[in-house]
Amino acid sequence: MTTSNKLTKKELNQVFWRSFGMEWDWNYERQMNMAYCYCMLPVIKKLYSNKEDQIAAMQRHLEFFNTTPQLSTLILGISAAMEESNANDPDFDTESINSVKVSLMGPLAGIGDSFIWGTLRIIATGVGLSLANQGNILGPILFLLIFNIPAQGLRYYLMNAGYKLGSGFLAKIQENGLMSKLTYAANVLGLMVVGGMTAENVSIKFPLAFGSGDEATTLNDVFNNIMPGLMPLLFTLLVYYLLKKKNIKTTTLLLLCVAIGLIGSFFGILGC
Amino acid sequence: MLLQAILLGLVAMLGNAEYLFGTSLLSRPLVMGALTGVVLGDIPTGVTLGATLELAFMGAFSIGASIPPEMISGTVLGTAFTITTGAGPETALTVGLPVASLVLIAKNVGMVFILPPFVHKADAYAAEGNMAGVARMHFLGGFFGVNLIIGVIVACGYYAGGPAVQALLNVIPEWISNGLQITMGLLPAIGFGLLLMMIMDKEVACFFFLGFALSVYLGIPVTAIAIFGAIIAIVLTQLRSNSAQTATEGGLDEDDDF
Repeated sequence: MTTSNKLTKKELNQVFWRSFGMEWDWNYERQMNMAYCYCMLPVIKKLYSNKEDQIAAMQRHLEFFNTTPQLSTLILGISAAMEESNANDPDFDTESINSVKVSLMGPLAGIGDSFIWGTLRIIATGVGLSLANQGNILGPILFLLIFNIPAQGLRYYLMNAGYKLGSGFLAKIQENGLMSKLTYAANVLGLMVVGGMTAENVSIKFPLAFGSGDEATTLNDVFNNIMPGLMPLLFTLLVYYLLKKKNIKTTTLLLLCVAIGLIGSFFGILGC
Repeated sequence: MLLQAILLGLVAMLGNAEYLFGTSLLSRPLVMGALTGVVLGDIPTGVTLGATLELAFMGAFSIGASIPPEMISGTVLGTAFTITTGAGPETALTVGLPVASLVLIAKNVGMVFILPPFVHKADAYAAEGNMAGVARMHFLGGFFGVNLIIGVIVACGYYAGGPAVQALLNVIPEWISNGLQITMGLLPAIGFGLLLMMIMDKEVACFFFLGFALSVYLGIPVTAIAIFGAIIAIVLTQLRSNSAQTATEGGLDEDDDF
């Protein structure tokens, strides 16, 4: 632990600007993970002088992440505050950094998607369209301004709000020795959110039909009668098992998914 | 012609670069149509066609893990062919929609085959403690995995012309595009598997299933699951501290059974 383990306005501003690329390399496997880690690099550099700590922090922030991009700074701010506590307190529960991240990203996306995409975008589009319909170049320009001024303003505000919230909250918790409770609570909440997201995002469909006419049932119906989403659940657990118990690499799993998709599609076993 | 093709490719790349510039909606047809008009020297028509396509693609919006038709290429090529042939606004749609679905396939190829190696390379750099390497993968991954593909397709598509684009569309077998679609439904399982590895242990594993069941049986959104989850977490934490006053003294011990 060195003396330079306090974050300043400079790092927070760097994180803010870096967050503009939150969706640049959005990928199916871990969605915004690389962008999130890229955002956190100034924080990691400032807080940890030790190579092992830096490595652990980078790996932590390369895990799955997804939320409404313009609001992502709230979670980045909280993560920054937690990393700061982690760097200064050897007893800090490092796992809680990701648990808090995971438990916040779903709810934030719920609020953010409806506000940013549902409300703000629709207002901007409405104004833009009314002018653009007549061929007026002001249409697209106003469209961009009406959307971006509030959206990016919010992004800036939430960066600092997240950091303050994170550090104030964490200081209080550590005084009372509540950290292990918080970790447990964050894990419970995080797992429920991951469960819900698994149900919403992982999809496997079996269009094969048995019988004919009105009697016909698809294999999909059969599985769904046992439990809706049974196959996506089993597939996710299989992946978890392969990762955890068999140490299978994610690249191998990726190729497996491609093979299943192409073979399943060719023989008509799987559908989309 | 060649210069225009390159410029239109760059317009499309700028549109996709909204994801580097704060998800600022540069990729929307309203903006892309106008910029196509600028390149081809007919701004009012470009803006009007952009408005037409904006309405058509209104629902095409990525929320969560769903990926809409690739509307950047659809808008740029649809608008460009309409302006150059002097046809009516419906041409923008008849060209734009099929192009958007064709390019979605190309984009998916990038998403499935090109982008993931960058993600895994970033993991490798992180394991070495190479921050510059992680940052480089972030930029290059997005550029080669998605951005460049869209730019090249738009430039080539404009250069080749409308009929050639249509012919190509008919050649790709359906099972390949469906297969990639299926793969995309499977890939999130890897991300969630990695998350589970991080936060799941025997004591709390049941909550993963609770979240899943709440979603599939009751159909409630993730936000609602999070609210219920927060309440459950608070109640359980209180119960734990009541029944084992001393357990919290143990600090980080994960296995403090009670």
